[in-house]
Amino acid sequence: MKSEPIIEIKNLTKTFKGSDEAAVKGVSFSINKNDIFGLLGPNGAGKTTIISILCSLFPPTTGKVIIDGMTLGNDISSIKQIIGVVPQDIALYPSLTARENLHFYGSMYGLKGAELKHKIEDWLLKLGLTDAANRRVSTFSGGMKRRVNLIASILHQPKILFLDEPTVGVDVQSRNVIIEHLTELNKQGTTIIYTSHHMEEAEHFCTQVAIIDNGKIITQGTPQELISKTPNSTNLEQVFLNLTNRKLRD
Amino acid sequence: MWYKLFASIKKETIILLRDKIGLSILFIMPMVLVLVMTLVQDSAFKSINERGIPIVIVDNDHDTLGISIKLGLHYSKLCVVSDSIDGKPATAELAKQAVSQGKFLVGIVIPKGATEAVRKNVGQLVSSAMPSDEDSLTKTNVHVTDSINIVLFIDPVTKKSFLTSITSNLHEFISIVKTKIMFQTFSEQIAELMPENTKAPKNAFAKTQIINYKEVYASNIIGELVPNAVQHNVPAWTIFAMFFIVIPLAGSIMKEKNEGSVFRLHTMPSSYLLLINGKIIVYVCVCMLQFLLMMSVGLVFLPMLGLPVLVLGNSLLGIFIVTLATSFAATGYGVMVGTIASTEQQAAIVGSLSILLLSALGGLWVPTYIMPELMRHISVLSPLNWALEGFYELFLRGSGVIGILDESIKLFIFFIITMTIASLINRVKRNI
Repeated sequence: MKSEPIIEIKNLTKTFKGSDEAAVKGVSFSINKNDIFGLLGPNGAGKTTIISILCSLFPPTTGKVIIDGMTLGNDISSIKQIIGVVPQDIALYPSLTARENLHFYGSMYGLKGAELKHKIEDWLLKLGLTDAANRRVSTFSGGMKRRVNLIASILHQPKILFLDEPTVGVDVQSRNVIIEHLTELNKQGTTIIYTSHHMEEAEHFCTQVAIIDNGKIITQGTPQELISKTPNSTNLEQVFLNLTNRKLRD
Repeated sequence: MWYKLFASIKKETIILLRDKIGLSILFIMPMVLVLVMTLVQDSAFKSINERGIPIVIVDNDHDTLGISIKLGLHYSKLCVVSDSIDGKPATAELAKQAVSQGKFLVGIVIPKGATEAVRKNVGQLVSSAMPSDEDSLTKTNVHVTDSINIVLFIDPVTKKSFLTSITSNLHEFISIVKTKIMFQTFSEQIAELMPENTKAPKNAFAKTQIINYKEVYASNIIGELVPNAVQHNVPAWTIFAMFFIVIPLAGSIMKEKNEGSVFRLHTMPSSYLLLINGKIIVYVCVCMLQFLLMMSVGLVFLPMLGLPVLVLGNSLLGIFIVTLATSFAATGYGVMVGTIASTEQQAAIVGSLSILLLSALGGLWVPTYIMPELMRHISVLSPLNWALEGFYELFLRGSGVIGILDESIKLFIFFIITMTIASLINRVKRNI
């Protein structure tokens, strides 16, 4: 059965003001509904720029983006209603408790009353934070902050979830819990767009992968397709190194 | 939308309440500021009016002029007069030395024969004016005695205004003595010309004292309102503190940017204005609370320390309107600074320095009427000046709502302008 695209990107370019070189150079690809789409690439490849454009944090220089049938630029507020974004850095209020943070961010998505309360308690329980829910986030460990950071973006059960390196700097236990619940969320119908430097994690987690370098998509497919079609590669990390070369990046 | 706004207000309130240092900056510091500044200014005021300026007087005249100056200054409340230094009778040399050592602010030396010189001088002038047998001869031969010099030793730290007060008093005493002598001489001369049965006018000088003056403050406040340090300082420093909200407010905006919350909020279906509105409402309430606390300083704490009680004037509605307008202006300015700045340090420096500048320009430190003309024109551009004028209109002139409408409208317009600028800058900054 052929899947229906939920995100279509056509000739997307982004040149930042004051910069001569484009960060994203005419990128075109589509992401299907219910995919876990890994956008992989070395530092400065353009991953975060693409995700930021898709989240309407800033506009593209040229190109067209259609998200769930809506055009980015025309339907920003409707698009924002169906997306969730887990930023690379922790985006929480340190002086608020986990529960207060979630209550505020949930309210910003339009959730309220018993529904909001129920969702907060449910996710706190799932991610093992119930006991710490009334503690200020500033007292949390890195892994706990990551988990609250994730919950704040999924309370409204978004159709599309953008994750920018969601497991960076967390221990194995926290990472497993995060990946496990993201998989569950995907099963419930959320399309996930994910960036990471953990190739092993991406290989097991993603259903589709695109490797990007110097602002261009180099290859795209399932992890297994990419491994089999790239010579001298037995895993995604080797695919990545073979395609993006071993030269150090800034 | 209202639910989101309420959530934003709740979040902002909790963050504020948990920031103990921020709270002390917002509430305790301004109260201490108003208390200290009013006490300091009041004690400076008292040093002139109650304790008086320390003056040493060297009376080498020992006659009417010397005695008049000594007694006049003694009863004038302006000075504390002494004619001895360290237990020794004051001489010109000792007086100069004592003033240079800062023991006295001013030393006055009345030369020997000063009264006699005045008498002689006046006598010659009167004689020349009176008809006599040798009329023509006297008139042509009139010569005025050489002028006498009263020497003033001045401590360089003495304020020009203090010195002006003393010299005016001296001029007044000398003038009175001269006039008295003149009247006396005239009376004597007239008496000589009168027939023997006719009485010469007695106490003629005293009868000339028909013009007095009365100080009446042009205020609508019922009762005896005398402008004092409390009436002037409490509103001025209250405005200063209310505008200092710029620092915690701009800091809070910067913190949200640095902590990544703004990034997340921009990806959510909520407008920038809605998020900022939550902040504005909370900080406007903080400003209003600040105002209430600082008024309580003027109404309760300062009287406890022996200072006059703050008189609020006739219009509580007027006070509410000016306070609300000032709160909005201060908050709008804080949002603008927080949006323009790139770092917390930048926001703190720009915020504090600009408020110091605007308060100095606005006449919070030095009254605008003593500023040079150019500065007076510039001062009317400061929102702190509009707020100060509004409060003075209510607290000192006893005006009602109509009297503060201009200032309040200007403050509300200032809020709209700052918010528009903040919104435009935010848009430009996001359009990278």
